[in-house]
Amino acid sequence: MNYDQSRIRNFCIIAHIDHGKSTLADRILERTGVMKLRDMTDQVLDSMELERERGITIKSKAVRMPYTAKDGVEYELNLIDTPGHVDFTYEVSRALAACEGAILVVDASQGIEAQTLANVYMALEHDLEILPVINKIDLPSAQPEVVKGEIEDEIGIDCEGCPLVSAKQGVGIDDVLEAVVEKVPAPTDDADAPLQALIFDSYYDNYRGAISSVRLKAGRVKVGDRIRMMAGRCEFDVTEVGAYLPLGYSPKDELCAGEVGYIAASIKDIADIHVGDTITLANNPAKEPLPGYKPVLPMVYCGIYPADGADYETLRDALEKLRLNDAALSYEPETSVALGYGFRCGFLGLLHMEIIQQRLEREFDLDLVTTAPSVVYKVVKTDGTTLMIDNPTNLPPVQEIDWMEEPCVDAQVITPQEYVGAIMELCQDKRGTFKDMKYIEGGRVLLNYDLPLNEVIYDFFDQLKSRTRGYASFDYELKGYVRSDLVKLDMLLNGEQCDALSIIVHRDRAYPRGRSIAEKLKEAIPRQLFEIPIQAAIGGKVIARETVKALRKDVLAKCYGGDITRKKKLLEKQKEGKKRMRQVGSVAVPSEAFMAVLKMD
Amino acid sequence: MKPLALYLHVPFCARKCAYCDFASWPGREGEWWRYFDALVTEIRLWSENTDFGLLKARFRVRSAFIGGGTPTLVPAEWIAEALRMCRQIAPFDADAEITIEGNPGTLTPGKLRAYRRAGVNRLSLGAQSFDDDLLHTLGRIHTAAQTVEAVRMARDAGFSNINLDLMYGLPGQTMAQWLDTLNRAVALNVPHISAYSLILEPGTPLAARVASGEISVPDDEAVIAMQRVAVELLSKSDYGRYEISNYAKPKSESRHNLTYWYRGDYLGLGCAAHSMLDQSRFSNPDALDAYLAGERMTDVQRLKQWDIIEETVMLNTRATRGIDLAAWERQFARPFAPQDDKTLKRLAGAGYIEISDGRLYLTGRGLEVQNAVVLELLEIQEAMER
Repeated sequence: MNYDQSRIRNFCIIAHIDHGKSTLADRILERTGVMKLRDMTDQVLDSMELERERGITIKSKAVRMPYTAKDGVEYELNLIDTPGHVDFTYEVSRALAACEGAILVVDASQGIEAQTLANVYMALEHDLEILPVINKIDLPSAQPEVVKGEIEDEIGIDCEGCPLVSAKQGVGIDDVLEAVVEKVPAPTDDADAPLQALIFDSYYDNYRGAISSVRLKAGRVKVGDRIRMMAGRCEFDVTEVGAYLPLGYSPKDELCAGEVGYIAASIKDIADIHVGDTITLANNPAKEPLPGYKPVLPMVYCGIYPADGADYETLRDALEKLRLNDAALSYEPETSVALGYGFRCGFLGLLHMEIIQQRLEREFDLDLVTTAPSVVYKVVKTDGTTLMIDNPTNLPPVQEIDWMEEPCVDAQVITPQEYVGAIMELCQDKRGTFKDMKYIEGGRVLLNYDLPLNEVIYDFFDQLKSRTRGYASFDYELKGYVRSDLVKLDMLLNGEQCDALSIIVHRDRAYPRGRSIAEKLKEAIPRQLFEIPIQAAIGGKVIARETVKALRKDVLAKCYGGDITRKKKLLEKQKEGKKRMRQVGSVAVPSEAFMAVLKMD
Repeated sequence: MKPLALYLHVPFCARKCAYCDFASWPGREGEWWRYFDALVTEIRLWSENTDFGLLKARFRVRSAFIGGGTPTLVPAEWIAEALRMCRQIAPFDADAEITIEGNPGTLTPGKLRAYRRAGVNRLSLGAQSFDDDLLHTLGRIHTAAQTVEAVRMARDAGFSNINLDLMYGLPGQTMAQWLDTLNRAVALNVPHISAYSLILEPGTPLAARVASGEISVPDDEAVIAMQRVAVELLSKSDYGRYEISNYAKPKSESRHNLTYWYRGDYLGLGCAAHSMLDQSRFSNPDALDAYLAGERMTDVQRLKQWDIIEETVMLNTRATRGIDLAAWERQFARPFAPQDDKTLKRLAGAGYIEISDGRLYLTGRGLEVQNAVVLELLEIQEAMER
């Protein structure tokens, strides 16, 4: 097909988790014939094992599909799949910026959810044409008319003639494609202006190096061009450009304004490609980069250590490999007295952290010990200098601190009315500041709170789930730093401080947290030959104390007729158990103890 | 000539006890004879076997132990025949300790006399408790009165070296019941008493009943108290504790028992029997069918230096004589621990171990947590090996 912008449609699919985004994407791929039925695995675009298992998209993906519409014209459809979680909000916003339209998938029985709204607002901010699609009409509980009404009332989008779909059963897919052709505007970008290519994703290919997924907003790019990263300030020679197929590449001579595709330029380090950055030509640069770039900053940090110290190298290689594909992951070596050699890792959020941990454990077969997640605190010292602290251990002595600030988020909770009280109580508990409350369709309420991020990462999701029996949904966005009365809470085992257990907390929370951690440790640390005092302390002041009593009884009564195998097995088990423990002074602490303190009851 | 201990396993019983998870089967009388036939064949083969050199050229038998199961269930003549054949493996010392394990409910004066004639000079009775209700809970086939009667019969038949096996930490057992059992055992004035704390083995009916909450066992605290009471009460009657679960009047320690703890050579014969010869461990299959089918010496393990060190620590420390430090140094060509070792000091300071007269041994308190102390001592060994 020759280049003709009027036949290009760039769109994405937005939806609340579980509303069927990936299944719809699969049906579209199948219908347009780019995926043969026999090649289809469920949810093609979610290629990572973890993505499929958790039903969420972690990385953005783009696929080009030829589609001959009912008007007889062959169109080039570019479907850009976006990550589906609040941790990846920024990546989503860049993917949206690459499109002209968005299919809004809404579950015919669930209706609008928190993420639906958040995504719609974001799509509207990017001036996208929104095509509502009601999915799962095959469900007995489907109420497409009610849901349509909801969309019209709450979002103000006309649902007249909107496709009613069962992605699962392949019903209504043609309607969706026709709607895309009819309603999503064709790009109107200037192919003769200097190149401006928006990077909306990056990943690593073993043969091509780090690759940029791009949407050309102006100009052209072809093999041999010298390109410049406008924010990244580095230049490369293009080795390949092209479009994506569901399972591979379709190299082209050039990419032109309005098109979506990839650029490869033998880039060795993915850190040279920043999502949101603009690629231009070195010899004919655009005057300005595209708007909206912001460097991705990790919000949550934690220490990751190999359970077996001998696995340090494997862990380092594994992190290096994951980082190849994930510019948002940061890590650097750190040493803990309790845990030995490991890494301080930075993540976009808790889910991102969890995903990385699971991938390390699964794909690299590593056994890990993880410290409590921490946010980045701002410390203003008495000498006027400012420090950013992502590890409680690095906090300067109290007398050198003038004040501290903590990151705060703008949080939205959507809940059935009956749980409003429970949620307000929870947000109160979490030091939240009430902002706003709105009644929305279906007897639901949208609550708006300012919450300290360190309360959100500590057990907020679990609490929200249990207090609302899973009915509430939650979304947040980083707002900024606020001054706060924070203290470092240390844990002492047998009088020795265990650095890996230190946390920074609000002074008002220090006492209950200290007591709770001490209790948790008491449960997690097995009795040993010597009594172990556990203390929680702020500055040298002990605020809570527990004791692990000395081991009472640990002996096998008998051995049968010279069969010592049971004894040996038990000994091996005990040795193994001991090896998996960390030595804090004279105390052996099981790896689980470091995790146990993260959980509230 | 090196000393050798023989173990003969009889894997049959009248009824499976509720706590028992070892190789023993009730019924199967049809297989008794086949089993003894196989056992005698195994004994004969060992008398000619040269895998470890011809045993009769290298060893003399210092002890033999016929265990089970319930060896006193099968005809006494079969036991006598097996023992007679054993003398072909290696010559027996004139004063060899030859023990048979017996259920008090299965003994008769006739059987006892037959054992004596066959050279058996020690009887180990599974008394377990002197409380009939507890015996019932355990699934034992005998009563307390039968135990008393069995001891009388044994003495009449000429047995003076008698052991009573007792158990504590039983479901619903009170301290008073335990004291009563100990007192009645002591009153019988046998030279040897074993007192085992009950181990709930997974898969046994007793473990299932405890897991379901139907019955409950005393907690660790109570079990420790029972064990301490046993040490105290028995020592007053001149029974010295020489191993975690074994008590004997002076010079009545079981030689066979000590062979296991001090890693002497022993040869196990029969189904599920374990052996250690020349620092190799091996065993016969646990399953009766596999044994009858002729499978022998599975799981041969040639012990390495580190295995031997580990076993020595693990086993020697069960005995109250502990580790002979000079013997250790001779065997491993290095001391047990560096001068002024911190771990040893800590353990001694806390009263878990004592070192005197060239021996390192666990105290009463140390024996209560022997596993944990062993781990500490092994860490010293790991450091010494590095």
